Amino acid sequence: MSITEQLAEIPWGLIWPLIAIQLVLMTAALIDLNRKRSTNGPVILWVFIIIFINTIGPVLYFTVGRRHS
Amino acid sequence: MKQFSLLLGKELREQARSFKLFWVPLVFIFFGALEPLTYHFLPQILESVGNLPEGAEFMLPEMTGADVYASLTGQYQTIGLLVLVLAFMGSLSGERKSGTGTLLYVRPISYSTYYLSKWTAAVLLAFASLWLGYGMAATYIVQLYETVPGFTDVALFLLVMAAWLIFVVTLTLTASAALPTGGAAGAALGILFIGMMIDSLVGTYWTWSPWKLQGYGLMYLTGSPESGDLAGALGVTALITVLLILFGIRQARKNAAKAKV
Repeated sequence: MSITEQLAEIPWGLIWPLIAIQLVLMTAALIDLNRKRSTNGPVILWVFIIIFINTIGPVLYFTVGRRHS
Repeated sequence: MKQFSLLLGKELREQARSFKLFWVPLVFIFFGALEPLTYHFLPQILESVGNLPEGAEFMLPEMTGADVYASLTGQYQTIGLLVLVLAFMGSLSGERKSGTGTLLYVRPISYSTYYLSKWTAAVLLAFASLWLGYGMAATYIVQLYETVPGFTDVALFLLVMAAWLIFVVTLTLTASAALPTGGAAGAALGILFIGMMIDSLVGTYWTWSPWKLQGYGLMYLTGSPESGDLAGALGVTALITVLLILFGIRQARKNAAKAKV
């Protein structure tokens, strides 16, 4: 089965909200990180956590990563 | 009253600026969408990632809409509660620590208004998250599953769940009023999860407790709950919630002196 056929078989109509939510969370976390630049732990670590850990990454940043000063 | 709406506005602005207003509902919506999809595509998922031996066959039970609601509720009972507690653990203790508190405490505000404005903002956000999450799940369940529970049953179920969430939020805020942020999160999560464990051990005999609410709510989807037990559990929850609010206001007043200048 070619890649295009496989891609066509995925029910995008059902899945796009999940992808959209993931992207929105990621963008929000990255914008906030860029604005504040003060985190618990190195900033670059949080960039990787936000981008590479699905859904939980941005949530972890918002709960544990932000430093309230 | 004017003071209350002012403080409520401050709380809502704080929620928006710390992005709570966006990520808390989004996490609920995400799981609301994920759960029905996972169960609907479970055979395909097992086939593609399962690493199953040749010829292995599974008899997967036919899931109904009510089953999916039940398993989603199970998710919300762990991840949802964790998210809510983490989001609100610092509402009072954080202000004491960061010094924002002193700007408020030097003014003649009443501590009940102060606590209740935070409580209202938190409860509103929790309700919005809960209903958006189940709303998302409902749109998937209606499309993907054959037998679905009726609208009124789901609405009644969500009202019972809302009572449970009020209890959770009140517990978190009161813990935040009485303890520093870390201790507040620990205390709230500890009480919630230990309560669930106790409920699963002796729940058969102890039918009137806040931890029973989600189980009773779910019964609306398959039949109807024992109305006496539900009323009892709701009554006990309301009583505990009011006591927690009163205790929280007292603690907020008492701990105001601990605010860092």
